[in-house]
Amino acid sequence: MAVLSETDRQRIWRGIMRYWSQLFESTDFSVAELRAAVDATDNWIDGNQGSFNTALPDPFKTNATQAQKTLLFCVTAAMRVSPAFARQLIGEVD
Amino acid sequence: MASGDTLAIFTPYNNEPPSSNYATLDTRNQHPILDFDATTDEEAVFKGIMPQSYAGTTGVTVYIHYAMSTANGSVYVVWQAAFERVSDSVQDIDSDGFEAFNSTGQVAVPGTLGHVDVASIAFTDGSDMDSVVAGDGFRLKIRRDADGTSADDDATGDAELWAVEIRET
Repeated sequence: MAVLSETDRQRIWRGIMRYWSQLFESTDFSVAELRAAVDATDNWIDGNQGSFNTALPDPFKTNATQAQKTLLFCVTAAMRVSPAFARQLIGEVD
Repeated sequence: MASGDTLAIFTPYNNEPPSSNYATLDTRNQHPILDFDATTDEEAVFKGIMPQSYAGTTGVTVYIHYAMSTANGSVYVVWQAAFERVSDSVQDIDSDGFEAFNSTGQVAVPGTLGHVDVASIAFTDGSDMDSVVAGDGFRLKIRRDADGTSADDDATGDAELWAVEIRET
């Protein structure tokens, strides 16, 4: 899987600012610095997807689709933001 | 009238938004505000009548009262404003006739989230403010120059317009 398109990176960039604006969440960095962080995050995911796959145990590693593995990664990361945020992605998280 | 006197005050509910790329009405702790995006230029438009007391000599200064929804570091926001004279047989309101924008340049955002800052833009009397004189109808367009055309606006998140004052310079 390649890195995200420029359009999709811009979607993340704009979207996350709107999200923080809605929460009135403090951000001590500029729009350009945030954009660089979006690029770096996507580049890191692209460069480390093989390592992530290797870390997964069988039979999940062998049998899960790429989309399922990506969702697992996203929801686990989302839980590190908050259960409420993870709930927005997949519904109830008990 | 004397320099420094208030000529007009506009609040978010006075906004007559353009058809696209308009600032969005929102509230913050029950304060009505207009949200201006961080990456796309957005605008608000306010209509008024220039008071008869306007002397028409030293021009006006537009004061933009705003807060930031997220940014509180060493970053800058850029505001712009433009006048359109809508006087007796002067402007066909089927189209817009705004004069060119004047800009604040870079304005440092408040250091504390939620604090209101006041940015100002001066207009000389005459064509700079589309030749609006006492008694003329006019529109004032406020824009956040989010794409940094006139100066680098590097503040994250929305800029929240709280009020606008026009004062005789």
